[in-house]
Amino acid sequence: MAAVNPTVFLVMVNGQVESGQFPEFNDLYCKYCFVYGQDWIPTSGLEEGISQITSKSQDRQRSLVWNFPIDITFKSTNPYGWPQIVISVYGPDVFGNDVVRGYGAVHVPFIPGRHKRTIPMFVPESTSKLQKLTSWFMGRRPEYTDPKLVAQGEGREVTRVRSQGFVTLLLNVVTKDMKKLGYDTNTLDMQTSSVIDLSEGILK
Amino acid sequence: MAEVHVIGQIIGATGFSESSLFCKWGVHIGGAWKLLSGVREGQTQVDTPQLGSMAYWSHPIDLHFATKGLQGWPRLHLQVWSQDIFGRCQLSGYGFLHIPSSPGAHSLDCVTWRPLGGWREQLARAFVGGGPQLLHGDVVYCGADRYRLHTAAGGTVHLELALILRNFSRYGIEC
Repeated sequence: MAAVNPTVFLVMVNGQVESGQFPEFNDLYCKYCFVYGQDWIPTSGLEEGISQITSKSQDRQRSLVWNFPIDITFKSTNPYGWPQIVISVYGPDVFGNDVVRGYGAVHVPFIPGRHKRTIPMFVPESTSKLQKLTSWFMGRRPEYTDPKLVAQGEGREVTRVRSQGFVTLLLNVVTKDMKKLGYDTNTLDMQTSSVIDLSEGILK
Repeated sequence: MAEVHVIGQIIGATGFSESSLFCKWGVHIGGAWKLLSGVREGQTQVDTPQLGSMAYWSHPIDLHFATKGLQGWPRLHLQVWSQDIFGRCQLSGYGFLHIPSSPGAHSLDCVTWRPLGGWREQLARAFVGGGPQLLHGDVVYCGADRYRLHTAAGGTVHLELALILRNFSRYGIEC
């Protein structure tokens, strides 16, 4: 049975990397990994994964379906360093070299329940035109040595990026003992219930 | 002491006329508040969007505050800058917002503005670039000295922040 006075709380995440939208590219695969703070420990499940290579669907959506499962449980004493999922997408360029097509990151949802997240994907850009040209020929484009960089706030001011796609994640979140530790994450969001889209009203 | 966790992302920006945008952000807190962990200020990457007109930054924010009083609830101030093809940066907008006071996930929009200056500055900005900037950044989040400014609307910055409060109910605070 569970202890009466818990010292840790648990966050269980399961779901899938559902699909991607990259209008300019085809035959892509994705990697996911989790980035979390010092107080966090994964208790079960896989922290990293590499999906299959997928081609675009034939319908009008032209989506890249991965349907790749995610299932992990964390324990922690402190919400600081809340886990983030880092997604990186790779695919071949015209010469068949594997190059990165996008990096993206999102926090694991805080509120228990089912969540669908669409995250923007971006790639770092060369700073000079010459470098851009040579990197295109050599098939060695700028990429991050560690994809986990996209989950960090520091050291981003020097990077120039180009956003060029989206990845959709489906996540189910269950938490345990957060309330018992005094943490309050739930509320009625007044914003969502009362908002009337002002700009739409003016334009129509 | 009661604790507040603010975790989320600066998603990106829409409505700016320039294309390569980045954002400098910072947090301002009152005297009763203390930042226990996390970074107080930062700067995002420069994004040049290929699809649509929204610039995406996906810049993570993770802050842990402790407080002895409610006054001086944390506020986030933002500066949006644009970079032109020569790599020069010019100011596109200032904005601030209060961190929401209720726990849960919030999707927030921050409107921005920039100082206009006189007609000479406006003309110079249109042809050369640049334009007036604030000498003291605290005007962005303090209301005291605003009346002297003449400003124009900028775009909107989109944020997604989640709040986790701890021990507020123990002190009888209703959020």
